[in-house]
Amino acid sequence: MLQTAKATFHRNMISMIRAYPWSFFLSHILSGIYTVLFAYFTYTYVFEGVLDSRFSNYAGTNDYLSYVFLGGALFSFAVSTLMNVSRSLITEQREGTLEALLLTPSSRKGYFLGNVTQQITRTLLEFLIILIFAFLLGLQFKHIHFLSAIFIWFCAVIGFFSQALLLGSVMLYFRDTYITQNTLFVTMAFVSGVTFPIGYLPEWVAPLSWMMPLTPALEAFRHSVLEGQGLAASGSQLLHLSFLSFLYLIVGSLGIKKTEKIVVEKIFS
Amino acid sequence: MLIVDGVSKVYQSKVREKLWKTTYKEVKAVEDLSFQIEPGKIIGLLGMNGAGKTTTIKMCTTLLEPNSGSITVDGYDAVKDDRKVKSLVNMIAGGERMLYWRLTGRENLNYFGNLYGIKEATLKQRIDLLLKEVGLEDAADTPVEQYSKGMKQRLQIARGLINDPKYLFLDEPTLGLDAPIAKHLRSYVKTLAKEKNKGVLLTSHYIDEVEELCDEVYILDKGRLILHDTPERLTASVFKENSLHIWVPALPNRTQKELEKLLRTYHAKMEIKQSIDLEEIEIIIKTEQEITSSVLALLSNHQLTVLKLVVEQPKLEDAILHLAERRIG
Repeated sequence: MLQTAKATFHRNMISMIRAYPWSFFLSHILSGIYTVLFAYFTYTYVFEGVLDSRFSNYAGTNDYLSYVFLGGALFSFAVSTLMNVSRSLITEQREGTLEALLLTPSSRKGYFLGNVTQQITRTLLEFLIILIFAFLLGLQFKHIHFLSAIFIWFCAVIGFFSQALLLGSVMLYFRDTYITQNTLFVTMAFVSGVTFPIGYLPEWVAPLSWMMPLTPALEAFRHSVLEGQGLAASGSQLLHLSFLSFLYLIVGSLGIKKTEKIVVEKIFS
Repeated sequence: MLIVDGVSKVYQSKVREKLWKTTYKEVKAVEDLSFQIEPGKIIGLLGMNGAGKTTTIKMCTTLLEPNSGSITVDGYDAVKDDRKVKSLVNMIAGGERMLYWRLTGRENLNYFGNLYGIKEATLKQRIDLLLKEVGLEDAADTPVEQYSKGMKQRLQIARGLINDPKYLFLDEPTLGLDAPIAKHLRSYVKTLAKEKNKGVLLTSHYIDEVEELCDEVYILDKGRLILHDTPERLTASVFKENSLHIWVPALPNRTQKELEKLLRTYHAKMEIKQSIDLEEIEIIIKTEQEITSSVLALLSNHQLTVLKLVVEQPKLEDAILHLAERRIG
């Protein structure tokens, strides 16, 4: 598995250096920045800095801008991870290399692991640029619990990776990238607490929130960055995130295995 | 040995009848097919488009699962032990796919070698050897997107050999290649089978390629095996007649009558064609026996000059077309 992961990491790194996907890189940064700017202007000029009394109850903080800035940055990171990992197999199919890949006895987990570790080198940069931009607009880091934030970020990566496996199998099955992933991303932005706490949402939307690894990841990340709390304070969120990661990893792995066969059959039938 | 035993494959394809109504149509791609590939042998799989050749290769290489029957490779089942089978087989297809265009030739081979779990030192040696064998040493560090079609095809061959497979599947390997490169590839395939003891299964639309390379030929039609034999015996079993074409400046009546009399004794058929400029006559004789010397002796006795002589033996291509026509009829 590790040999496949290492080789795939190396292959993607070479491809990235030879033809850097500037448009993806910029669009991910810009969408994060737009989220931050939208929240800033809305808060400053529409609501004139006045918050609903329920906000601090739901969010655990009165600092709305920092709340949204972190939401925008982690959402952008989640989108990049989901997009890059889930598109990998369908890209192989479009570029005519899927058959050559499926001919080998390589581990599919190793293949995806190589993909996710390589793409982190790019998406982490995007994430940091958005955080720097948010810092200039007022994001506060004075209470940050570094170790806890890094650990939660790492757990979030596993969660997004597992979700990407399931998304990838759905995309490969329908041989579609645009509709499937954009529907998911819009839903995630709405139900995961990116720009407002999920407490504002109607009850019937709650199951959708719980299904997104971004929801517990964001809650835990805000605890450690904005409130400076350790891991113990985010125990329930980490448990929730671990459960979703495990579930999506199993369903996604099985889904990818089954979809590969269906796709090859579809191509030849 | 690779054993295909009673294998069938049915595809289900969607047929959209109305906007919301979809039905499924079943297509039998391969039906009750059995054959074997021994190491060191080259097997040809022939048939018209849609005969089931590519589906057969995909099943043998584990890309597709058969609906019934079994495929075993050196005792390993292609469905249950697919990872073991994958390490024993490989496939080379015609065209420019199955390669990463942004990587160099060496990087492509290195990536695929790693996917086969080959150790670093062995892989490095094998890559150098394969690049040399396919004549890509000088272009080894050039990105594939800058390769010509022939170079990409040669790199595909190297990729297909990176795991040192015991059984190699070649699906139209010379498709679109220039004649010298195709010739080189054919000689290389022969070497792989005869000197390196690899079992090879070849599909091709170029019948000459199959006649030149294959020890045995299987002919498929609509997924079913219709004939299996050596190329020579297969041709002879369908077409026994040779054609003798003789060009002469003129054919006097007396000579023609003598010739007809001679041919009757051999049960041969004759056809006479006059050239457009009326300067020569072509005599076409179809016979199952060797009568060239008798015909030439007769023409010589009548003091006729032979301008040109061609003996045409039946070709495998004719045999396949004939079989296909017979089945359609």
